[in-house]
Amino acid sequence: MSDHEKPAPGPTVIPFGPQHPVLPEPLHFDLLLEDEKVVGAIPQIGYIHRGLELLVDKRDYLDYVHVAERICGICSFMHGMGYCEAVETVLGTQIPDRGRWLRTFWCELERVHSHLLWLGLAADAFGFENLFHASWRARETIVDVAEETAGGRVIFGSAIVGGVSRDPDDETLKRCMKAVHAVRAETLRLAEVWIGEPTVRHRLSGVGKITKDQAYSLGAVGPMLRASGVDYDARRRGYEAYGEIEFTTVVETAGDCMARAVVRLREIEQSFKIMDEVVAKMPAGPVSVPIKGMPPAGDAWNRVEQPRGEVVYFVRSNGTRQLERFRVRTPTFANIPAMVEAIKGASLADVPTIILTIDPCISCTER
Amino acid sequence: MTERETQTLEEIEVSNLVPTVDALRVAGWRLVQVLGISAADHTELNYSFGLGLQHKILRLKVAAGAEVPSITDVFLAAYLYENEIRDLFGVKIERIAVDWLGKVYEPVQGKAFSKITVAATSSEGGPR
Repeated sequence: MSDHEKPAPGPTVIPFGPQHPVLPEPLHFDLLLEDEKVVGAIPQIGYIHRGLELLVDKRDYLDYVHVAERICGICSFMHGMGYCEAVETVLGTQIPDRGRWLRTFWCELERVHSHLLWLGLAADAFGFENLFHASWRARETIVDVAEETAGGRVIFGSAIVGGVSRDPDDETLKRCMKAVHAVRAETLRLAEVWIGEPTVRHRLSGVGKITKDQAYSLGAVGPMLRASGVDYDARRRGYEAYGEIEFTTVVETAGDCMARAVVRLREIEQSFKIMDEVVAKMPAGPVSVPIKGMPPAGDAWNRVEQPRGEVVYFVRSNGTRQLERFRVRTPTFANIPAMVEAIKGASLADVPTIILTIDPCISCTER
Repeated sequence: MTERETQTLEEIEVSNLVPTVDALRVAGWRLVQVLGISAADHTELNYSFGLGLQHKILRLKVAAGAEVPSITDVFLAAYLYENEIRDLFGVKIERIAVDWLGKVYEPVQGKAFSKITVAATSSEGGPR
């Protein structure tokens, strides 16, 4: 049999990760290639699984919030708050208004922090280092505000069952908003580069596209879902102060890497508006209610919109101080099937960019 | 008009799982997550679905050693949850579309989340 009569070889398998320059955390793909085109991708997680959920029946339910907020170093406050809200549902506890509004403020601060962090990482991934520096410079101010209002650049210890543990005064919040407004101006300038710069468009437009139907049926969440035209944002549930605040759910329709970037850029602007309203309307009064005794037996589900998308919390109490089960379904975990679909058909050179545009958090995934 | 959040819970039998899930897909629901909870003699599986702000949970109890059909033919994205539940809880799930063959959390001790006792298991022995 001559060479040209031999059957075509199967796809070439290229390992991607778990150590890769664009991946701060370990995630592995077996990429199946025909020439330079990806025809399939098999994900592999599990390199750093920590079993944090399993700790819940070994810790006091009031203390476990410190474990929950360590699921992620970026959305730490929101993870703590999501756990607390679920426990408060079991307890039947209503937290004070000022506690609810402060929670909303820190949620949006973390959203801006996370999106600016992602904008920098993505710019770095496609070789635009100046944009990376500018994004992270803006982010520095946001983490400074976190430190001034919550005591640390990463917000730990502020979410407690029954409210929040810190109460920055109104003057501090207004002073911080002046710094936030400076970041707002800087972010608008960044958005001009992201949307208008031809080299950025060249790397992102039309790349890693998933349709509305694919995003929905594959269970995508957050910017990954909204960039494909699906209008779903868990904040519409109206938890904390979101039911009393005006904001727009950002939806794009192109479904490609650029659309996912634009969703995040526009969400930053919405977060600034929410923070403005929260500080302007911040109610006076206590920030927490005391929680004593054991929780009653029962289940609670909770859904929170984090920067990367919807998170689902579940707690089951058996009537003791140790909960029977805590579960968190994180957005990156939900986005993996859609990410695999987005990679199919892409050029090998575009794979790192596509993976980054879901903003993967393996720390959350490997909770 | 602002959409109102609702949450419903329905207990189902294993034999009704796939038809019920398929009916939800046809009605436009999306898969939100699958949750495993271990007890001494069974594992409780909670499949949850979303439609806008509506949240529907299907709950079934799986006896130790019993098998559950995969729902990946209906919702492909379920493969992550099903592989995880099989690895961490030891639940037997049949015909997962993307099967990691028990290696999602390879470094983790097998069935680490299972509380099923040795007495409740079949001839395969205890969970750990």
